Amino acid sequence: MSAAIPSVACLGVIGRNNNPLHISIFPSYDPTANAFTPIRNPLQFSLLLSSTIDVFDLRSKTSTASGDFGLLHAIDDRLAAYGFETNTGVRMVCIVDMRGRRVEAGGSGVAGPGGGAAGASTASSTSASAAAARSSVGSVGAGLRDSEIKPVFRAMQSAYVRLLQNPFYDPDEHAPLGGKGGRRITSKKFGDDMKRIGEAWTPGVTNL
Amino acid sequence: MAASKASRIGEEIWKTRIDKVNAELVTLTYGTIVAQLCKDFEDDYPEVNRQLDKMGYNIGLRLIEDYLAKSNTMKRCSNFRETADMISRVGFKIFLNITPQVTNWTADNNSFSLVFDENPFADFVELPDDGRAQNELWYSNILCGVLRGALEMVQMQVEAHFISDVLKGNDTTEMRVTLIRYIDDELPPEDD
Repeated sequence: MSAAIPSVACLGVIGRNNNPLHISIFPSYDPTANAFTPIRNPLQFSLLLSSTIDVFDLRSKTSTASGDFGLLHAIDDRLAAYGFETNTGVRMVCIVDMRGRRVEAGGSGVAGPGGGAAGASTASSTSASAAAARSSVGSVGAGLRDSEIKPVFRAMQSAYVRLLQNPFYDPDEHAPLGGKGGRRITSKKFGDDMKRIGEAWTPGVTNL
Repeated sequence: MAASKASRIGEEIWKTRIDKVNAELVTLTYGTIVAQLCKDFEDDYPEVNRQLDKMGYNIGLRLIEDYLAKSNTMKRCSNFRETADMISRVGFKIFLNITPQVTNWTADNNSFSLVFDENPFADFVELPDDGRAQNELWYSNILCGVLRGALEMVQMQVEAHFISDVLKGNDTTEMRVTLIRYIDDELPPEDD
């Protein structure tokens, strides 16, 4: 007997010129094939991220002081997009797959794509959070509390801060003044950070 | 002077006589200098290395005076091994609060390595991904110049260069320092 729990399907960073800075896609568990595959293709994820820009724009008029936009929109019964905006206009989006991972009801732990690859430290934090995750399994479909997504944005923001502190990263290149265009983030360290965050998060994780 | 005594001196000076500044200020300032040099010389990394070394040399010439004043050691080092310990445990300690390991001595005691377990200059840094910087740029090259300049003022001509850097994917950051000669004080020509 196994139950599905939420996992991150995609992390996106959008620059202040509405330009894509970074997109990471994470595979979800597919019970029919018993394998991990992304549930949308990269173009579809890119479109989903683009569609969140409108929501950000609409909400920013009545914006929250913290920058946390919470649930932006529920895409279907599985996918939901959550958002965060910094004061400099950089937006971070986390698309959650409500049934992206599977836990054995017996309590053997979380089956995650990062279990082996992500190394011992994340593996142990994942299993530690499994108990917390299992307790919220019953509420899948009822949505996630915003506070459960918060650690993702906090970790993404500190990764972004570390990126900015690299003297060879020129913020102007990635979102030039004048409101047009900008190059994507090519930093390997930032990419690795996003991968780590996306793989380590499950509901109940407080520190990424 | 024993290495442990040098450590104690370094610790003591660091605690009592050094004005501290924010580490990020140092890191970001140095990073900006290197990034700007790369821009100014259009990514001619060997030239950037040379410029950093030159800047370091000019810093070293001045810094040695400050070092001597703060460390209060009027006594000369009796050999190059002692010099190496003082560089690591007092010099690096009081200016950067790090103590690189002194290792890999050659048999003639004229050449050693400084292995940097931490390098405050290189925090947050990721070298440009243009296929050349990873091979050609020595990000912390200013330190080589500092040692060369400072030691020259105390009658030691040395050659210093980095041979590995964690920024390039190496396991350690290692600088090789080689004593070329002791510069004899120029004596005025004697008139017999």
